[in-house]
Amino acid sequence: MTPRTARLRMSLAVLVIFALVAVFIVRLVDIQLVNAAEINADSYNKRAQSLTTYGVRGSIVDTNGAILAASVERYDITASPRSALARPDTNGSVSDALAKIAVITKQDPAQLMAALTANPTSDFTYLTKGVILDVFQKVRALNIPWVYFELRPARTYPNGATAGNLVGFTGTDGAQAGVELTADKCLASTNGSATYEKGEDGTRLPGSLVTTQLPKDGGTVKLTIDRDLQWYVQQRIAQTYQSLGATWATAVVIRVKDGHLMAVADYPSVDPNNVNGVPNTALGSLAFSQPYEPGSTMKALTAASLIDAGALTPVSQVTAPSLLYLSDGSYIKDAFSHGDIRYTLAGALVDSSNIAVSLFSKPVSADLRRSYMIKFGLNSKTEVNFNGEAEGDVHPVSQWDERTNVAVQFGQGMTATSVQMASIYQTLGNGGVRMPVTLVEGCTHPDGSVTDLPPTTGTRAVSASAASQTLQMLEQIVTQGYLSDKLTIPGYRVAAKTGTAQVADGKGGYGDAAVISVAGVAPAENPQYAVVVTAGIPSSMYSSGAIASTFHDVMAQVLTTYRVPPSTTPAVSIPLRW
Amino acid sequence: MSNLAYARPSAYPAPSAPLRPVAQPHIEIVTTRAQRSARPKVVYAIATVISLFAIFGAQLLLSIVVSDGAYQIAALQSQQKELVRTQQDLTERLDLRNSTQYLAASAAKLGMVPGSSPQFLDLSTGAVSPAPGTIDSSGCGGTCNLVANSLLGGVPLIDPKAATATPNTVAPAGTGSAASGPAAPTVVTALPAPVTH
Repeated sequence: MTPRTARLRMSLAVLVIFALVAVFIVRLVDIQLVNAAEINADSYNKRAQSLTTYGVRGSIVDTNGAILAASVERYDITASPRSALARPDTNGSVSDALAKIAVITKQDPAQLMAALTANPTSDFTYLTKGVILDVFQKVRALNIPWVYFELRPARTYPNGATAGNLVGFTGTDGAQAGVELTADKCLASTNGSATYEKGEDGTRLPGSLVTTQLPKDGGTVKLTIDRDLQWYVQQRIAQTYQSLGATWATAVVIRVKDGHLMAVADYPSVDPNNVNGVPNTALGSLAFSQPYEPGSTMKALTAASLIDAGALTPVSQVTAPSLLYLSDGSYIKDAFSHGDIRYTLAGALVDSSNIAVSLFSKPVSADLRRSYMIKFGLNSKTEVNFNGEAEGDVHPVSQWDERTNVAVQFGQGMTATSVQMASIYQTLGNGGVRMPVTLVEGCTHPDGSVTDLPPTTGTRAVSASAASQTLQMLEQIVTQGYLSDKLTIPGYRVAAKTGTAQVADGKGGYGDAAVISVAGVAPAENPQYAVVVTAGIPSSMYSSGAIASTFHDVMAQVLTTYRVPPSTTPAVSIPLRW
Repeated sequence: MSNLAYARPSAYPAPSAPLRPVAQPHIEIVTTRAQRSARPKVVYAIATVISLFAIFGAQLLLSIVVSDGAYQIAALQSQQKELVRTQQDLTERLDLRNSTQYLAASAAKLGMVPGSSPQFLDLSTGAVSPAPGTIDSSGCGGTCNLVANSLLGGVPLIDPKAATATPNTVAPAGTGSAASGPAAPTVVTALPAPVTH
């Protein structure tokens, strides 16, 4: 070997070494600098397990804070058929385990086996869904390696059907009805996300939890409803429904001073825990969604309007013939046959004479009379804007024929909902000032802030004097009318009006069905609460007297519940005839 | 480098071993004092190695403590989760027992009936009006709950026997104090009241 070849070999070796080092450096720079972030993320993803953290949907509570709807945790029990059936089940360990689970979840073991063997290569199947904590803990204690658990946020309604018509319910697609739906923006929570790192055997590395997005809890919706009163009213309405053989029944209790709804009962109505237990028509609140021709309870509004317009006083006089003929030969009649009766306005209300009310109404222009109805809140939704709420109809005056012109004044040829009727009596009780009807007191967010406060500005429908004169006349119905014994509440002065309305048969006439109702306020001298009870009955065999005791019981319960001081002055007597 | 002592190579070839005189003096390179003091001392090396091991050891201990703490935190967190779950479960049960249907049915089982009118006690005559006995217009003693609550299926009602059993267990204390205590107040048959008519 000559020194020359030795030098050549030497420099070749050095060159190769440099080239190798250069390759390593390039790769090093590539890994450590150029692609570092990507590779880091890649490796993290291999270890990291993402996790959904659930925010809690807000509660719905009554005016005293009693829970009407709350979020709870339920658990789904799942299994991996692939790992369960990895080895042939010779010693019966799988069927044994399933039998143990079935005892706890009260299922059929064969059914569980069927679920497991439906797709043996799958890694996931549900054994059961939505079990309570107790069951979850017992199944977990079995320590079966191929059984897994998932959290399932659910909704519970501890008071069942009490206020179920108002609270509504949620389904798999979220809120479905009632306040759950209308206040969903307040109640809804936002789910967060987090990641943790897992070891090779899948165990969670402690301290590796990283929250990428915090979950946000929903707000609490507070209703104006009083749960215990609501239960009583619903119970009483259900009894009324059954004893009358009614097709539907509603009751509304509203606080006079601010228009807060204390109770809104419907029958039938839904138990949100068991939505399938009632027909589809009972999933909402009929008191909001079902307009009907209210009948004579509208006469209170008529009297207040006519007095406010300056046309009448409680002792204004009219002579009611036995029939009031219209120009086309048809006639308006009263519920009882009579000869000529010389009614005062108070007397016309006590006897609920359609003829007298028509005669009293005629001198006042239809436009003015309709404008009063609008001011009392008819023909438009209430401020509650309940899910499925109806507006009712008071047609424009141009569409009124000769009969409608007077019939609207005694509650036929127009429609209103029970809540609208309650609002009318609230207005009369509140010195003629109509307050916005309120169902939701507000939304309290987790940070303590309160939003969605209801409107509190009232609008004057009639003068205070017109309202109080009307109530004095309605008091005569309780003190002098034929339902006096049923409507009187000892210790309190009550002002109430009954109504028995015919129901349009959809063919331009009126059928056998009827709507009977009683609406009123108490105490008459200083009204605190207004109550409207209504029932739709399939035939006119009952008059409003059949529901008077329901009104009495509900009003008595309201007065006792809220400890309203008894009246101290007697009712003023107004002459009914002249 | 220049101050290093060195032995100049012998200019003459070394004589054969047998010829080497035994008494030839031993020649050794002698380091200077400065060189001796500049030489690294073994104690330093030992100290370094020991401290290195100490650091490793401390780090190991620290990491054991940290990971032990992490496991403890994880265990406590999962315990907290379980307790929160239990609390929620109990709250749910409490809410259910707090429901109006449950309370109404339990009250009915205890023999209470709903009244339909406010009752008034006339202070001058002691009479109650309207006459009691006309209460409970529905006539089912409050037991006929018509407001469904499917969650209450299987929840036992308050047992009146259990309710009366409780006072029995505390009865001895009550009777004992009554015997030794002051005499019972005399029964007032009529409330003193001004004549208001």
